Amino acid sequence: MIKAIGGLLLRAVVVLSGTAILTFALLWHAPGDPAQAIAMARFDALLTEDVIDQVREEVGLNANFWQAFWAWLGPLLRFDFGYSAVTGRPVWPDLWAAMTYTVPLALAGLAIGLAVSLPLAVLATKRPGGLLDRAAVGVASLGAAIPAYWLGLLLILLFAVQLRWLPAMGARTTAHAILPAVTLGLGVAASLTRIIRSGILEARGQPFLPAIQRRGVTERALARDHIAPHAAIPVVTLFGLELAFLLEGAVLVEVIFGRPGLGTFLVQAIVARDFPHVQAVVVVTALAFVVVNLLIDIIYRVIDPRIGAENA
Amino acid sequence: MRSVLILVVCLIALAVLGPLLAPYDPTAIDIPNRLSAPNATFPLGTDALGRDILSRLLYGARWSLGLAFLISLLSLTIGTAVGLLATLGGKIADWSLMRATDTFLAFPELVAAVVIAGLMGAGTWSLIFALSVTGWMRYARVVRGIGLSLQSRGYVVQARLAGLPGWSIARWHYLPSLIPSLTVVWTGMFSRAILGISALGFLGFGVQPPNPEWGAMLLDARVHMRSTPLQMTWPGVAVVICVLAINLAGDALRDALAKEGSHE
Repeated sequence: MIKAIGGLLLRAVVVLSGTAILTFALLWHAPGDPAQAIAMARFDALLTEDVIDQVREEVGLNANFWQAFWAWLGPLLRFDFGYSAVTGRPVWPDLWAAMTYTVPLALAGLAIGLAVSLPLAVLATKRPGGLLDRAAVGVASLGAAIPAYWLGLLLILLFAVQLRWLPAMGARTTAHAILPAVTLGLGVAASLTRIIRSGILEARGQPFLPAIQRRGVTERALARDHIAPHAAIPVVTLFGLELAFLLEGAVLVEVIFGRPGLGTFLVQAIVARDFPHVQAVVVVTALAFVVVNLLIDIIYRVIDPRIGAENA
Repeated sequence: MRSVLILVVCLIALAVLGPLLAPYDPTAIDIPNRLSAPNATFPLGTDALGRDILSRLLYGARWSLGLAFLISLLSLTIGTAVGLLATLGGKIADWSLMRATDTFLAFPELVAAVVIAGLMGAGTWSLIFALSVTGWMRYARVVRGIGLSLQSRGYVVQARLAGLPGWSIARWHYLPSLIPSLTVVWTGMFSRAILGISALGFLGFGVQPPNPEWGAMLLDARVHMRSTPLQMTWPGVAVVICVLAINLAGDALRDALAKEGSHE
């Protein structure tokens, strides 16, 4: 187990290094002056040509990609994201503020997704192939085909414009979060329903179940002790994918609903070519993903001891 | 199965024949008739510049489906190459290529695509690059997985012992067994590409105006949501129908292959 976790940690470090190199390569090759971008990241926005040239000299931008990379990486490793190229304010407080909007939204979306998909999948698998099952699969397929931004616009149209029940734009009150969270949650529910459904069906097909049943174990205990844990494995494995989906969805949902958050932060930064902001979002997201995937891999090994160090 | 196939063929036909069927030029501006509701002259109404929405939808199918086809094919090529190199290139190549795959997977694909396309400068080429370079990882994993299971098969061992070069083994012994699974993954990536193209278009980082791409059309329509809510419905419906049809085709294909496999 220790060896397996060590291997996973090593992998996480390799992946993070790779992400850092890719991110820097992207900034390096993006149209615009990388020296200016780096200078802005390290000092404030009010730069003179002298300062930029000094950075160019210091970082060795004219000479070598790798030297420039190390100079760029140093402050990042100390979680120093520098200053915004546009406002001149430090990046971290603004990034943190954006995260305090996005993380609760994503969690609410996940909660709604689970609350919808879990009962739906359990009901659907009561009679596999039955009317309810086919309806659930149909709704889930339809849901997976609906883009988050379009669903969001339709919900605004119905609940904010026509019915006037809920506010649509901004994030002033909790009511403002309902439509964005539901938009995100329904998307999550669509993919989770299929995953949980096939997880339950596969768990039901385990060859030793009839034997346990014949020993007189109740239907309830069987579901709790033998079907649920097995069905949970694909849900945990695919949780990394769900998280990616949540973040992608959050980006679009925030833009649609005019909510502050990581998504709007990122889109505005790209439009304004605010490199320090862009790189901060990329680095923080990659870090979060690698950590979450690491935890998933570890949990996965705990609930399913058959998976050894080899079959990562 | 058959109805899904017919639907897919119809959609492809619409994309190919769109320009012949479209009643108007999709970029022709007609200010007096702007934001008109569906009527006899404009079956689906017009947008804020008076452009015919039906014509834009039909031309848009070329952008959305055509680009999605190109992007899914490009990422299929990258992914297959990486997967084959990983299985045939020895332990070091395998380890480094799979860690490279993990690195690309360490980031939500669409967010990565937004960053890449945005930093490269919005436009069709950036869009193609951004979505292809973030879409190949699943192919690589599938190819490697199947490749590893083939490695110990008799005919592959034979070929190796006979001194056949790696590329030849890949071409004659691996590719034929890979095609069924790759086709299933490809349908999934095709619909992902459609969603990605329209998402980037909607954010303003994809196909640029005045080109009629569905996501960009939604972005235009969003501003006039209150006055002409119907305008916003059409591009969304188009995306949903295409993605749903392709996903269903993929499911049907997977089931058919699974059935075939069980008969063997």
